Amino acid sequence: MKEEKLSYYVNKAAELNNHSFDKKIRIAILSSFTLNGFAETIQVKCAEKKIQCLTYVGGYNQYNQEILNSQSALYKFKPDLTFLFIDTRALLQDLFHHPHTISADERKSLVNEKTNEILGLTAKFSEITSSKLVLSNFAIPTFSSYGIFENKTDFGFHRMLNEINNKIADELSKSDSVYVYDFDKFVTKFGEKNVFDYKQFFFGDMKISLDHIPYLASEIMSYVIGYLGISKKCIVLDLDNTLWGGIIGEDGFNGIKLGPDPPGNAFMEFQKTLLSFHQRGIILAINSKNNYDDAIKVIQEHPYMQLREDNFASLKINWNDKVSNMKEIAEEINIGLDSIIFFDDDPVNREFVKINLPQVEIIDLPRDPSEFVNILKRLNEFSVLKITQEDQQRGKMYVEQRKRNDLEKSSPNLEGFLKQLDLRVSIKTANDFTIPRISQLTLKTNQFNLTTKRYQENDIKKFAQDKSYLVGCAQVEDKFGDNGITGVFIVNKNNPKEWYLDTFLLSCRVMGREVEKGIIGYVIKKAKESGVQYLRAQFIPTQKNKPVEDFLPNCGFKKELDSWVYSVNVPFEIPNCLTVSTE
Amino acid sequence: MSKKLFELIAKVMNVPTTSINDNSGPESIESWTSFKGYVLLYELESEFKVKFTIDEAMDVKKVSDIKRHLTNHGIVLND
Repeated sequence: MKEEKLSYYVNKAAELNNHSFDKKIRIAILSSFTLNGFAETIQVKCAEKKIQCLTYVGGYNQYNQEILNSQSALYKFKPDLTFLFIDTRALLQDLFHHPHTISADERKSLVNEKTNEILGLTAKFSEITSSKLVLSNFAIPTFSSYGIFENKTDFGFHRMLNEINNKIADELSKSDSVYVYDFDKFVTKFGEKNVFDYKQFFFGDMKISLDHIPYLASEIMSYVIGYLGISKKCIVLDLDNTLWGGIIGEDGFNGIKLGPDPPGNAFMEFQKTLLSFHQRGIILAINSKNNYDDAIKVIQEHPYMQLREDNFASLKINWNDKVSNMKEIAEEINIGLDSIIFFDDDPVNREFVKINLPQVEIIDLPRDPSEFVNILKRLNEFSVLKITQEDQQRGKMYVEQRKRNDLEKSSPNLEGFLKQLDLRVSIKTANDFTIPRISQLTLKTNQFNLTTKRYQENDIKKFAQDKSYLVGCAQVEDKFGDNGITGVFIVNKNNPKEWYLDTFLLSCRVMGREVEKGIIGYVIKKAKESGVQYLRAQFIPTQKNKPVEDFLPNCGFKKELDSWVYSVNVPFEIPNCLTVSTE
Repeated sequence: MSKKLFELIAKVMNVPTTSINDNSGPESIESWTSFKGYVLLYELESEFKVKFTIDEAMDVKKVSDIKRHLTNHGIVLND
């Protein structure tokens, strides 16, 4: 992927001053070396994604003092995300050059000492602030004075650094506030001799060459995307010359290029990579101008197709224009157009979608299919800080959803359809397993969300421990499969007479099936059992939450100034198409 | 080539090309900070496909110094 020069970002950042976007993030950058231009690059990259980014850059090599002093400028800045880069030289000091002057045992104890030092610093940080911390790991130099004997040396230099990296990663793997950025892999990806330039190092203590700062910033953007919960959910694909070479309508089943020989292997590899995204929960869909019968035959029967009908949540294979198809896909899957990435080899189609649906991210696919895989692998648009069980299942769930839609179409009415679905709602409390997903739903749900309050995992943990809050979620299953945890409620119980519904949301996956009534029915029942008289709720309108607009009046809530109130003595009827159970 | 050089300097320093002359440097151009000075050197290297020595890099005080070093690297700078 081509990058702009650093001067482009530095100058562009100076022009951003007055820009204001809805999405905002505060980023602090701490490092043991000069990282000039990095903050500016991040600001510009955020602005490209319509995110307003304020940055704080810590003093040169002052990271220790800034983290340890709770009154430091770092904490006064109140960052959402903090990046900490410590380079291997700073970590090891003299031993960076002379690691073999101490014994293997001493190197082993050095690993513990250094690991504890770093972990102590991260622990102190998390104690003082709620900012997430992204700690870069240590680049392992390729050089060793022992040369080819290095890996025969008992607990040698490289092994020692590997151990430090692994230990830190292990210790922090369970943390939901500290993340480890694999800087060593960044160096591998771009090459040590490119990333580290001796002249720049001697000249200005720059340990990342100026040319590579934009690339580093690009990678770091993954954390911004993950933090803000704006990752893409769905890849929409064209077929001819995208999933296979050639045109099925002209070249025929046996003529298209797909298989172990070039160039068919490029398409096969591309499909395999797409499949790996599907397996981690990215939704796949097709938007192609073709005869349905020709194309579906390939998808169902071609021996080298890696993606099959069951991998696609929607298959729009017809002669309609791609914009209408795209809108239908978004509607059918029930996701925003801004959650979609579109792959199409035809520049005209791409332009047409780009002009009409600017929210869709469009990939400029080159003509050479051997480049497809790398383009896909370089996208950081799918970055999430956590992959929950629900996420891994998501790709599959949307395929089940397509089958549900087919059933709905064949059912005479909605009631009949819902009855046939055999819906089961299980209400679960907030615990270690459900908290990550609860937080994720509050961060990501835009449509069926009464108040659109965003909560990080730590916030949910605090609610769950607080006796004056009731936090729960709902898992929804039906005859086609498990939709996973798809509903959340957070109730403020401070007032013993009147509970307040702080958050009530439903994932778009299960909208339109009366599930929400099952969940609110449970909350009302709980309120009644606790001797509460009223349940108060609010609808805070946003650009996206129209689907939840009528929910409160439909459930019998009565309007009172700017909120809605339900008198819990009024019996609440849970629709009979649902079975609601509690743990 | 001088034009190309001046344009690149102007781009990095974020000033109009017309404000660049042989005597331009950190003293006459406000945005020419030491950091921008590094950025300029590395962008010159990639634009003109040369590698300055560390002595040359440290020696740059104004545009005419850059011209001199580029010429030493075989870059022909006509006006």
